[in-house]
Amino acid sequence: MPIIVVLGLIAFFSLGSEAFLTLRNMTAISGQASVLLVACLGATLIVLMGSIDLSVGAMVLLVGSVTVLAINQFDLGLSAILVGVLIGTALGLANGLIYTYGVIPSFVVTLGTMSVYTGLAWELLQGRALRFDSLVFEDMAIGQAIPYFPNIALWALGAWIVMAFVCFKTRLGRYMFIIGGGEAVARTSGIPVKRYKVYAFALCGCTSGLAGALAVARLGAAGPTLGTDLLLNTLAAIVVGGTSLSGGIGGVHRTMIGVLIIALLDNGLNLMDVNQYTQMIIKGAVVIAAVLVGQDRGKTTVMK
Amino acid sequence: MTDAGTVLEARNLTKSFGGSTVLHGVNLAVGRNQIVGIVGENGAGKSTLFNIISGIIAPDSGSIFLNGQEIKPRNYRQAMLLGISRVFQEQALVPNIPVYENVLLSHEDRFDGWGGLVAKQRMVDAASRIVAAVGLDIDVRRPTNEYDFSIRQAIEVARACLVPQEILGIAFPIVLLDEPTSALHKTEEEAFFRLIRRVREHGSLLFVSHRLTEVLAVSDMIYVLKDGHLVALVDPRQTSESTLHGLMVGRARDADYYHESEQRRPDAARVVLAVKNLCRADEYDDVSLDLHAGEVLGVGGLLESGKSHFGKGAAGVLAPDSGTVELAGSAPGAPDIRRLVRDGLGYVPAERQLEGMIPPFSIAWNASLASGGDLFSDALGLWRNGEETASARRWIGELRIRADGPRVPCSSLSGGNQQKVVLAKWLCRDPKVLILDNPTRGVDAGAKEEIYRLIRQLTDRGVGILLITDELMELIGLSHRIAVMRDGGLSTILDAPPHAKPTERTLIALMLGLDNGGDGLAATVGAEPLAPLVH
Repeated sequence: MPIIVVLGLIAFFSLGSEAFLTLRNMTAISGQASVLLVACLGATLIVLMGSIDLSVGAMVLLVGSVTVLAINQFDLGLSAILVGVLIGTALGLANGLIYTYGVIPSFVVTLGTMSVYTGLAWELLQGRALRFDSLVFEDMAIGQAIPYFPNIALWALGAWIVMAFVCFKTRLGRYMFIIGGGEAVARTSGIPVKRYKVYAFALCGCTSGLAGALAVARLGAAGPTLGTDLLLNTLAAIVVGGTSLSGGIGGVHRTMIGVLIIALLDNGLNLMDVNQYTQMIIKGAVVIAAVLVGQDRGKTTVMK
Repeated sequence: MTDAGTVLEARNLTKSFGGSTVLHGVNLAVGRNQIVGIVGENGAGKSTLFNIISGIIAPDSGSIFLNGQEIKPRNYRQAMLLGISRVFQEQALVPNIPVYENVLLSHEDRFDGWGGLVAKQRMVDAASRIVAAVGLDIDVRRPTNEYDFSIRQAIEVARACLVPQEILGIAFPIVLLDEPTSALHKTEEEAFFRLIRRVREHGSLLFVSHRLTEVLAVSDMIYVLKDGHLVALVDPRQTSESTLHGLMVGRARDADYYHESEQRRPDAARVVLAVKNLCRADEYDDVSLDLHAGEVLGVGGLLESGKSHFGKGAAGVLAPDSGTVELAGSAPGAPDIRRLVRDGLGYVPAERQLEGMIPPFSIAWNASLASGGDLFSDALGLWRNGEETASARRWIGELRIRADGPRVPCSSLSGGNQQKVVLAKWLCRDPKVLILDNPTRGVDAGAKEEIYRLIRQLTDRGVGILLITDELMELIGLSHRIAVMRDGGLSTILDAPPHAKPTERTLIALMLGLDNGGDGLAATVGAEPLAPLVH
């Protein structure tokens, strides 16, 4: 069903704009979709677990900014990506620890850290876009080891496969389903619920960090607006893909479809010269429509 | 069956869900001022029948007649306006609003006052009349959750029975009661039965329960459902519990239902679980007991005796304030479910759907819930899907779980089969100790028997079982010793060897805290003497 939506969008935009179905544009889309996909991976696990992480975009911004500063300071080259991942993991770990040991709803915790991380990043950037000068690092995102297929998309695909494996073939993944499906059941079965919640948030920080590093590599700079569209886009892609916000249902594999739908919409509407404001209206409506069509309302009796 | 006295009639009701037929052409008639009992195992179609009559689902074919006229309610509200109301299996009162608002819930439009404001005083008066009519002496302006479970139950029954008459102007309501007593204690049941007999004067009742004794005691006639067929209509005055049971399951009840003859002497030298001075504020206080290998140690008590909380504490699910638990082969310490599970303990909670299993997940996923840390994943944290499926297959076979394989979601299983999956979750770990909290609640008679047999088999292998239960017969029949809890404390431990079991009467007296054994009981419980032990 979601695949039909993807094909429908492709058909619609091909008719609407000549520039859409070109090799060049497909390259552009895969580049745009990559950052979103990577940012969604860990967040999907969080949603699967029945929690939410609103700070993904802010982590991407902060990690992106720190990465650029680090590159300019130390000439890190490729290892800058490792710096990004580590910082992201630390930020996610902070989210997880406050959430589980503070016994504060994840919505509130990440709403708070979203503001904290964004503020920190803006302090670092001082309101300007920071450029960097490292061809190796840049090439990691926009180079094309495979013609017409940017390297950043390879990173994203690789990360997606790894996370889908984590989701379905590991203890961590299974515990995400169990905690999301019934936390009380997990507890009476002796599952270390708190520990795994912390792991999940750390992992979400890790993929957000990777997304942050990749984003600045692709753009060549870190600006104050980096990651602002991710708050809506990550949650939209996850939910549109078919992972239920109530937890326990879905999976990382599905998020790919959601990311494609969001990325195609963004790109296609731009090419059709639809203005930014109208785009926001359409995107919001699509998210609601997708959930409306996707969920089995017969089984849902209480919605909060 | 059809005569002038029939108020509700169902003709040829048939209903299937996704290929499996749950009702096969069921005919049923309810007479004026009658209490009609409906019995059957889980999955026999009782709930589906109720859902159709109360408009929650539509039948595939067949029709319902109310006072001779065909009705087709499309939802519960329509059914209610026609005069069919229902007390659901789970309580359907909003806890934190005043009683009168609950009583008149969804009928506020009949109390419109000036400028669209609800006329509060008139609502309070109407609600007071309704609760007073069933003999409840409560202030309807107080929040509902200030009253205890049995009073809330009575409020629900009053609402279902009298709102149609008092508020909707329906002369002769039909009330459906779905397992209304499953969570009531024995002493509260008596009051409940007085209540529904009183309601019978104004209408008719349909009554579903697993407790055959009470169905026999209260019904004017009894329909028996089996696998979606109506197999018998019996007169309770000429039927015994075992006949009824035989009709339901299609075989006579074992004379030795609890396998008392197989009760072996436990290994008194081997303590498998030692609980010392367990306390938790406001719930239980200074409880100590030893469970031996191969022993069923029953824990009984009234609903508020703290026995369920004590079970949760001993298992380390809800940490106690102080006290220790020692599982054979490991050091004593503050109980923690994660450590105890690793060391060989299993805990089956009373709330199966909320704490025991995740209904939308498959049998395999549910049965592996407790073993993700050892049996079904390796040192790297990779999940062993193959072993998981194989283990689920094995337990589906051993416990005779009726399902088409390990991938079937548990939500599609009957209560009894779901409980077997919860048990499989622990049995696959080969436990030393099981703490079972009401393991047969909401479980049909057939599966109950299998669970009882399983408990005997486990104790034969040396497993120690702490059995917390509200069912007195189960407590007496299965236990080697019976611990009685009262007001959060452990009051006595009785021996219960196969040929000298304590009586129900003795136990109730202990639970209530009456010193003179069973003698003072009749006065406390009510005018009617207690039913004899076995029919």
